[in-house]
Amino acid sequence: MMQRKWMREIYKARYMYFMISPALLFLVVLFYTPVVRGLMMTFYEFRIRGGGEFVGLANYLQVVRDPDFWRVVKNTLVIGGGSLLLSFFLQVAIALLLNEIRNSFSRQTIQTVIYLPHLFSWVVVGGIWISLLSPSGGLVNALLARLGIEPTYFMAKESWAQPIFILTSVWKSLGYGCIIFLAAITQINPVLYEAAAIDGANRWQLVRSITLPGLYSTMLVVFLLNLLGVLRIFDQSYIMSNPAIIRSTDVVMTYTYRLGIVRLKMDYAATVAYVILAMTIVLSFFYLSAVRSDVLD
Amino acid sequence: MSEGLTFRPSRSYRVFQVINGVIMVALVLTMVMPFVNTLALSFSTPLNSMQPGIVLWPNPFSLSGYEVLFKQIDIVRPLLNNTYVAVAGTLLHVLLSALTAYALVRRPFPGRRLFVFLLLATMMIPLENIMIPIYVVYKELGLLNTLNAIVISGAVSGFSVLLLKNFFAGIPVELAESAEIDGANDLRVFAQIYLPLSLAGLATVTLFQFVGKWNNFFEAVLFISDTSKYTLQIALKSLIINSDITSTTDAVVKNTQMAGVIVSVLPLLILYPFLQRFFTSGITLGAVKE
Repeated sequence: MMQRKWMREIYKARYMYFMISPALLFLVVLFYTPVVRGLMMTFYEFRIRGGGEFVGLANYLQVVRDPDFWRVVKNTLVIGGGSLLLSFFLQVAIALLLNEIRNSFSRQTIQTVIYLPHLFSWVVVGGIWISLLSPSGGLVNALLARLGIEPTYFMAKESWAQPIFILTSVWKSLGYGCIIFLAAITQINPVLYEAAAIDGANRWQLVRSITLPGLYSTMLVVFLLNLLGVLRIFDQSYIMSNPAIIRSTDVVMTYTYRLGIVRLKMDYAATVAYVILAMTIVLSFFYLSAVRSDVLD
Repeated sequence: MSEGLTFRPSRSYRVFQVINGVIMVALVLTMVMPFVNTLALSFSTPLNSMQPGIVLWPNPFSLSGYEVLFKQIDIVRPLLNNTYVAVAGTLLHVLLSALTAYALVRRPFPGRRLFVFLLLATMMIPLENIMIPIYVVYKELGLLNTLNAIVISGAVSGFSVLLLKNFFAGIPVELAESAEIDGANDLRVFAQIYLPLSLAGLATVTLFQFVGKWNNFFEAVLFISDTSKYTLQIALKSLIINSDITSTTDAVVKNTQMAGVIVSVLPLLILYPFLQRFFTSGITLGAVKE
């Protein structure tokens, strides 16, 4: 009896299975097969012809002892973490300032313009900034020359590399964050402001006691989401690094790429990436608990 | 400080408005000047584009950057490759995500929970972290060095399915039920009722997906090594950056490099006004709580 009921349900939903089948095929063959294969690779010694010996946790121990691994982790945290914190602060601040602009045309225009860099790829943004920062004819050095400052080869100095990576990343993501926070501000109930104004609150008090608290949940979600992004940065480092500065600008994912795809040490590269993946998954649970659970199903 | 019931602007507030205006002007300049400079350099002569100075307008005006880009460097092939990847990739993604979203909204089925788990768990596993096994599996399937590898990578995403599912869930069930009484099956209900009633959702997914595929860099770097298969972003990278590091032999002149930048952002600038209409639903899903 049970089985007949089960079969009938499956038959009734036969079109559902048909419709999810392309997605399911993709997920199984092109996503989870690699996920599982990668996990296996971390426990085996890789041979190009296949096979390979089980080595237990040897690859993981090698990661822990690898000074280059810790160096690229540090670079990732300095560049990714630095731009995360600075853009987060500026995005909230500029969203609040934009919200004070009464003329909606000006507000819209500013919003439109500052979102632009986020629309473009890192090749475009990196290319533009390399050009702007170049010592011969770059706009930045030309402006500095007006102030009597000698031209600097910004992209060839290790001391400048990380600050420049952080600032260009902030420049790219500023408008994107502003739009999120502005959208959240407009969702705050206007009655709250009216009530506080009747009680004699001034502008700054309104911002501090209504707008900011109203943004807390959005801030948390955006912050956690961007935190997850820190561990996966690749494009910016791959594009803007050069031999003069690479020691302080290569990040975990470009390190993985060089190890695995360029130097074909696939087992070790996979292990490096899976150590970071483990961290990402742990952080994801914080993110998931911050997002409303019914958004997800 | 707290004198008025209404928002009659106090003096300190007017001072604030002035300062705020100055900040906004500075902000807009910081964002716009780099693009103006890029545009001006792209229309400069080769010599002028290499000379120091604050360039915001080409003097004299010259198309030589674009001529070199299209005639000597042959940017057309990467442009065509990129267009194929972006169009085919977007169509595939939207179709698969819409089919999946419909199945999740329309009817419960055994195994649904497991499928939803598999779909949403992809959002916790970044592609970058599994690049090595992805490379191995794609290689075994003969997909390396093909544009189709980029097309099918990310053929469906939890993000797009969630967004479309929200749209589909807002469609009255009665519409589907009455169509079924008239003998329509799920594929017809999907194509003739759900899709036409969710155009805003489909447009959001389509536009954001197109921008993502147009700008795609990581998958191209991972899968493509043959120069005839280069997509726009990797072609542009070798145009701008490789020539900057090894700046001795046959470096590409700056006006050509900047012309490459302008050509690659043009399609996005054309789409931008359309994109803006769907900003809030596209960007803020998953970030803004209701």
